[in-house]
Amino acid sequence: MRRTAADNPYLHQDFHGALSVGLEYLERRFGPESVREYLWGFAKRFYAPLRADVLARGLAPLREYLERMYAAENGRISLTCSEDELVLRVDECPAVAHMRRHGLPVAPLFHETARTVNEAICEGTPFCAELLEYDHQTGRSVQVFRRRTK
Amino acid sequence: MIACTDFIPAYSELFKYLHSRGGKDEVERFWNDLSDRFLGNLKQLVEEHGILGCWLYWSHTLNEEAADFTMQLDEDAGVFRIEMHRCPSMSRLMETKHMEPYPDYCRHCDVLYRRVLEPLGYTCSVDLSECRQARCSLTVIRSEGSPH
Repeated sequence: MRRTAADNPYLHQDFHGALSVGLEYLERRFGPESVREYLWGFAKRFYAPLRADVLARGLAPLREYLERMYAAENGRISLTCSEDELVLRVDECPAVAHMRRHGLPVAPLFHETARTVNEAICEGTPFCAELLEYDHQTGRSVQVFRRRTK
Repeated sequence: MIACTDFIPAYSELFKYLHSRGGKDEVERFWNDLSDRFLGNLKQLVEEHGILGCWLYWSHTLNEEAADFTMQLDEDAGVFRIEMHRCPSMSRLMETKHMEPYPDYCRHCDVLYRRVLEPLGYTCSVDLSECRQARCSLTVIRSEGSPH
């Protein structure tokens, strides 16, 4: 079999399961705080360009990023965005749905991939993030990004 | 949610984090754990189909990862080989200019797959000599007397 990168789209959702195993491992070996510490560090470094864009343009780049990400994974979401607030409602998290469908373990702290990551993206920007609701079974959630009050 | 397309940098950073907590031994301990807990499908396919199971497993994963590869199977000879012309993971890490990959990133493939395949009666060798150019190869050979 010969394949080139152009022959297929890049979308391997089993990776969610591998990340989940990694989060479980961290919690088991080093405790729950290690999960948040790892995700915080990853998000600060990896999403640095996005954070810079948020600093320059406000919530618009975050909205574009979230729309692209959930569209690529066929996530059912609704999103409202103003200059001061972005509200993301995820009906079913594509990562959790994929893991449930394939019998892969969902880490107890998997929701930190939303809460901690969102908070890290916002650090140093005029905005803060809050995970208002989260259903561990489906990953259904309400995530809010809003302008900080002085 | 971290997008599955962002998983590879997330994993590289996880290896770095584990290294900071317990050095290379901690990273290897995790790779062993991941192999045991996450590669049950590869184990099951090889137990059911013999070396054809390797073909079935990597046909699925490498196509979803949009890899640039050649895969060969000789069932009679008991040899399966992947030649990775451009590894999607390493190339992704190389493209992420604002982050450094975990220096030993590529070796997780060797540890993970060897741990599944050797107890089933196969030798598994991975050539990582060109992995920093996102090229590598994996060869699986059925051992004499393998029950699978």
